[in-house]
Amino acid sequence: MAEQDWKTSKRTFAAVSLPTLFWLIAFFLIPMFIVWQYSLGEKVGETGFDFSGTLDNYKRATEWLYLTIFGKSFAVAALVTLICLIVGFPVAMAITFASEKWRPWLLLGIMLPFWTNLLIRTYALMMLLGTQGFANKGLGALWEGTSWLKTLVGLQPLPTWEPVQLLFNNFAVVFGLVYVHLPFMVLPLYAALDRLDRSLIEASLDLGAGHFRTIMRIVVPLAAPGIIAGVMITLIPALGAYLTPDLMGGTDSQMIANVIERQFKKANDWPFGAALSFLLIYAMFILIAIQSMRKKVPEVR
Amino acid sequence: MDFNELIKQTRGRRSLLQAMGVAAIGISFGGLAACSKGEGKKLANGEEAKLNFYNWDTYIGETTLDDFKEASGVNVKMDLFDSNDVLFAKFKAGNPGYDVIVPSNDFVERMAQAGMLQTLDHAAIPNMKNIDPTFIDVDYDQGRKFSMPYTWLALGIGYRKSKVKAKPDSWKALFDSPEYAGRIAWLSEAGDMFRLYGKYLGKSVNALTPADIATIEAMMIKQKPNVKNFHVDDGQDLLLKGDVDLVLEYNGDIAQAMTEDDDIDFVVPKEGSQLNSDNLCIPKGAPHPKNAHAFINYILDGEVDKKITETILYPTPNAAAKALMPDSYKNNPVIYPPADVLAKCEYAKFNPTLQPLFEEAFTRVRAA
Amino acid sequence: MALFARTPVAPLEYSRTLWMRLWVGAVMVFLYAPLVVLMIFSFNDSKRNVVWRGFTTKYYEKALGNDQLVEALINSLTIAAFATLASLVLGTLAAVMLWRFRFPWKGAIDGTISLPIIVPEICLGVAFLMFFAAVGWPTDLVWPFNLGAITIAHITFCFPFVTMVVRSRLASFNREQEEAAKDLGASEAQVFRDVLVPHIKPALVAGALLAFTLSLDDFVITYFTSGPDTITFPVKVYSMVRFSVTPEVNAASTLLIILTVILTFIALKAQGVKAIAETH
Repeated sequence: MAEQDWKTSKRTFAAVSLPTLFWLIAFFLIPMFIVWQYSLGEKVGETGFDFSGTLDNYKRATEWLYLTIFGKSFAVAALVTLICLIVGFPVAMAITFASEKWRPWLLLGIMLPFWTNLLIRTYALMMLLGTQGFANKGLGALWEGTSWLKTLVGLQPLPTWEPVQLLFNNFAVVFGLVYVHLPFMVLPLYAALDRLDRSLIEASLDLGAGHFRTIMRIVVPLAAPGIIAGVMITLIPALGAYLTPDLMGGTDSQMIANVIERQFKKANDWPFGAALSFLLIYAMFILIAIQSMRKKVPEVR
Repeated sequence: MDFNELIKQTRGRRSLLQAMGVAAIGISFGGLAACSKGEGKKLANGEEAKLNFYNWDTYIGETTLDDFKEASGVNVKMDLFDSNDVLFAKFKAGNPGYDVIVPSNDFVERMAQAGMLQTLDHAAIPNMKNIDPTFIDVDYDQGRKFSMPYTWLALGIGYRKSKVKAKPDSWKALFDSPEYAGRIAWLSEAGDMFRLYGKYLGKSVNALTPADIATIEAMMIKQKPNVKNFHVDDGQDLLLKGDVDLVLEYNGDIAQAMTEDDDIDFVVPKEGSQLNSDNLCIPKGAPHPKNAHAFINYILDGEVDKKITETILYPTPNAAAKALMPDSYKNNPVIYPPADVLAKCEYAKFNPTLQPLFEEAFTRVRAA
Repeated sequence: MALFARTPVAPLEYSRTLWMRLWVGAVMVFLYAPLVVLMIFSFNDSKRNVVWRGFTTKYYEKALGNDQLVEALINSLTIAAFATLASLVLGTLAAVMLWRFRFPWKGAIDGTISLPIIVPEICLGVAFLMFFAAVGWPTDLVWPFNLGAITIAHITFCFPFVTMVVRSRLASFNREQEEAAKDLGASEAQVFRDVLVPHIKPALVAGALLAFTLSLDDFVITYFTSGPDTITFPVKVYSMVRFSVTPEVNAASTLLIILTVILTFIALKAQGVKAIAETH
């Protein structure tokens, strides 16, 4: 169904567009414009700032060092998004097809942990994963058990249990980010799956396709807008994550948001921090603008 | 779209709104209570009976603020910050309304240079006499024009006694040796790390050059595989949890951890270390400067500071308060490291040209 | 196939198949294990929650007696409630605008709406700090107006999430319904209220949940937009945790989780009965 030209219904268009545009301009673009000026200037003394139109900050931000950090952050965020999608899709399916008695409970079950403060959750996760944490203790008990079983049948016991390193490395960062971002994936997926035309799935099953094939060939294409929304909503904040890498990461787990944060705080180099931020913003803006200009996949209905 | 489905879908939404409604009831009660306190009254000094105190958390005696209210009638509203950097960043756009803040030594210097601090009126702070004289003429604030010392701290090595062969009394154990590979945590603060490496190399913390930074950066990259984590000032927790066995931390933090675990100890390495000090200051544009002076004076009182020190267990620069403390505190070698080691310790000066270099070099170390 | 099924499983009852149940169960364990640990350790008689040192409820007394903590929580819930409502309205309008109309600069406006999601928190925080300082936003208003600056900032980064979710749902809307309603004499507003809103309801729920969570959790932007009298829950928790007062925080979180569960349970129960009454 084609979009309507705004001129054909000016009053409705004004009603839906003016509040949004006003808010965007007054409380987003103007504040961001102030920071944008910083990215094109240099700092003077401790608090001063001179808008000189220089591109030095951007030049520095595109040095190899920072580009590799950008690249690494993107790779981590993409991996996190992929895992969230794989883990979250069946959950969203389960919620969609759950009985009406269970559906609100499942939805809340997914959301409830996220009404606990992020930092508290991160610390709780760290308690679980630490060298003396429950995850390690559980694995240790399992190991000892196996060892004992082996001696029971007359085999050599396993070597003594060494705690696995679950914290302070890149694994911990990905694990922590998946934990934090999972509902960001499940909710849009649910919103999209919920309106699926079930007769299509039934038809597919009746015609002899298996469940897996039905999901891949019918459900996934139909849920495409939701999947795209979920990917965006997960990928983008994951790219900007700084607390998880800071607390759970090892010595090489910094992500671009950590670097940006340090420019604004410790280094007190706002112009450079602004340039790094805007590099990220330009890239994303172009990505989103391209995606929205591309003609949408024809509606399947 | 069928009708039954619609009914189903309305549920989740409504329940949320209901939950919010309940929250809102709680809110309006709390809010009314919050509005009514401490309004309107004026004090003899012409200021309203209010004070906005911007402090670190758990950094005040349990009853200090109430006691002050009783003594002076001023209602102190304490707000919290968790690092000097954010304190500084927040004041960059102007004072948002605070009367007393507690920056560390280098930030006193930095904020004074940036013109963010008011000159203190020493006549209004007679309890200044309680301060240990060695804390009056400090490099970062000669003659205490802008700040009054609140606590001081020394960086050193906290360690688990049963996991080390000998007392790790040199920075070498942390900085330049694979002996404790995988059991070390460093601070994530770039400036502190570079300055302490400087100490290890026998230099003053304030005499580093860009060439030194390059040398140190190479040493750090070499040592990095042996380091488990750069901690955000929660090293004592890592040590307690057994995640690491050696950690670069402040003496006060380790002293608190030692009350929980006998197997932990602390040493200031023999090469010397870096000292820090937190200070009470009045930022420019403070709405209640007279109350602020009265409050600072109150805190510097021997008895009051004794109570604060009992809670926070940090070394106090207040001689009158220290004299009132029990021997177990005064003679604690962790809280008060031996004089010969302290003699080799220095306060870090704020250095606007080196700070960005530290940061960038440390970013490279992390990325390596 | 289905372990607990008393009736045969219909093809579409995915949630009743065993592998699906196992999967959801595993995800729930993953989500809740840390919280369970947190709840257990809130009863631990140790200042640091590392080793078990005996049972105590003293941290609950401390948490409940901590006025600042309670005040911070009330502030945060207020901000989250207002920010969620405003984000729902703004986000839905934006989604409808982008879905329904063709207008000049559409790509650019679409991109701009998504921007608040990608701007690094610290950058947005600094932007608001400078902005509110530049416009001279008053910091000494009475409650709840002193939360205005924080709420505005929260709406800015929450509503794009609502837009994204609602828009993906709108993609499936059948325009013929709208046409039909109009043919029957409904006005634009009526169509919006009676046809469009019911269709996007799941997306509104999802969006509201997202916005509420985001607002409740935000630390950085809140920090930079707060004044001397506006402490919020994350800010309080951050400084408490940084200084190892964790058991008290754990106790407060446990209470919050239990309170949320009870409230939602009551709400769902009450509505469950009503919904059954309505359908029959």
